[in-house]
Amino acid sequence: MKTATILAPLDLNKMPRLKELFAMLNSGRHINRLADPILWAELEREAIQFEDLFAALGYELRMDGRGYAWFQTAEASVTVSKTTRQLALLFMVLFELQADAGLNLGRFTDWHIDRKLLEALWDKNHALLEAEGFADAEALPQLLDTAARYGFAEALPNGWRLLPAVFRYLDRFEELSGNSDPVHAATSVELATAGREDT
Amino acid sequence: MATPKALVSALYDHWDTVEWLVQLSREFPSFESEHIFAVVTRLAPASSVEQQQQVLRQLCNADILQTLARGASFQLNAYVLEFVRGLTREHELGLSAVLSSRINAITDASRKLNEGLHVRDMDLLRQAANKLAELFRQIGQQLDQDRHAILELAERAKAANTDMPIARRYREVLDAYDNYVAPMAEMMDSGPDGTFYRHLEEAEHALDHTVEVLTVQGALYTHRLAMRNVAYQAKELRRLGREVLKQCSDTLLPLREEIRQHNQLSASISRLLGQVRKRGLNRTLAVRDLPLWRREISRAVSVGAEVLTIMSEARAFAPTHVAFPNERAADAMPSLNLVDEHELIAGLNAALPVPDLLRWLRARYVDLNDATLLRLYHELVARPGWQASQSDTPTTVRLNTVQVTLYPHAIIDE
Repeated sequence: MKTATILAPLDLNKMPRLKELFAMLNSGRHINRLADPILWAELEREAIQFEDLFAALGYELRMDGRGYAWFQTAEASVTVSKTTRQLALLFMVLFELQADAGLNLGRFTDWHIDRKLLEALWDKNHALLEAEGFADAEALPQLLDTAARYGFAEALPNGWRLLPAVFRYLDRFEELSGNSDPVHAATSVELATAGREDT
Repeated sequence: MATPKALVSALYDHWDTVEWLVQLSREFPSFESEHIFAVVTRLAPASSVEQQQQVLRQLCNADILQTLARGASFQLNAYVLEFVRGLTREHELGLSAVLSSRINAITDASRKLNEGLHVRDMDLLRQAANKLAELFRQIGQQLDQDRHAILELAERAKAANTDMPIARRYREVLDAYDNYVAPMAEMMDSGPDGTFYRHLEEAEHALDHTVEVLTVQGALYTHRLAMRNVAYQAKELRRLGREVLKQCSDTLLPLREEIRQHNQLSASISRLLGQVRKRGLNRTLAVRDLPLWRREISRAVSVGAEVLTIMSEARAFAPTHVAFPNERAADAMPSLNLVDEHELIAGLNAALPVPDLLRWLRARYVDLNDATLLRLYHELVARPGWQASQSDTPTTVRLNTVQVTLYPHAIIDE
């Protein structure tokens, strides 16, 4: 027998920015504490209420303690699939470049990304980027504008800065790097051989 | 020995397995059957023991895997290893000495080219050009392979375990820098010590000169074209050399100088980027593994306010009354000028010769309006049956409303 869960009554008066929040999240945007402090404060204050409300509407609100929130989905449209792949590549080459320059990768929100940096990025990786369908150096600023639209970056007068939502990618990079790697395969192969020797 | 077609076909069928074995061949010079079963299981976890054995059998029958002379271990066919490494960018770093001796061989070929040109020996000329083309191809290929090998070295060092001592982590990189990049930089030095640009430039000049001489001599177009293409190869090679050296230095320097930030994240990113470089983005990162977000764009089409306005206006439509003009009396219409043509022709025939047709018409039809009168005038002048001759002196005729000056036509009987 099903037990009915009793939800606390929603107090919409405590959610004055509900409409704005819903519109942003539903358009694919990540809410960042750094870029949208007022919206984030309301979201954080009424987190449980928001989660319940959106869940009742069929949306899954995810919030990360590092200061960002988004509507999670397992199925992505063609546009989102293409964008997320391109953004992954952009963030990888960008973080690689900054690591080579000796910058602290954990403080990526402090980096100022301007056109000069993007030109250096293109010069260093143009073979790789061209192979992945980036037409020319102009594709990078365009992609950062797209990132800004989805709340991964913020457009500044002379460039962009990354927002905490980029942690979503960084987490995945660390998870993924172990799976498609011959070193792991070598380990499993070694284990297989070791097993044979034991017997 | 399997036929080349059977080998290529088996390579197509078991590409994933062979690709992994080629990658593993860095760690293992030869494989036990368990190694191969482990790779097959990894790629197809649901495969049965029989299927794994079948894969091994097929790879052996197609000569992709060869049994080592003593023992039951397997080794990848050297041609397959080379081919797959080439396609998957898994090169070993070449020796800078090999590159250097190839570059020195350019001088010899250039000398032969000049000699052939001097003694007008077309065969020698062609041989020397072919030799140069082959050298350029080999040097270009080696430069490209070495570039990928150095990227691979750097990626391995960057992706190494974070707690590995820095000296060990970067050992390969330092070796590569000292034994490959530094000699290469010396070779590509634009000063007197550098051989790369100097030899290439000599070869380019020799080739350009040959093309000029052949053009003057009127040699076959195909011969000139072949020489020109080799000269283009030389120019392209100079560009490639510069680019590769820059890329290799840029890649290795941050590691050599130990300024690179090294932690779990940078190691992971380097490892993934290496995979993307070799296997492509789509094969490395599946969309389900990447961050996704919900994005709903409402595409509903609704009727705009303008249309509602139009509809409400249509419902309240009242026709506006338009007052039509009253019918006019027939007498108010302008009277038509009717001319009896037969009577006119007869009158004119009777009056011939007429020295000034317009004056005659004017005198006869005083009431006709000017336009009709002038029309009649033109028609009569052009009409066959009599002769119209034009006077040389102008005259002025006053009509009802206008006055015309003309060289009058006279009508005379034919």
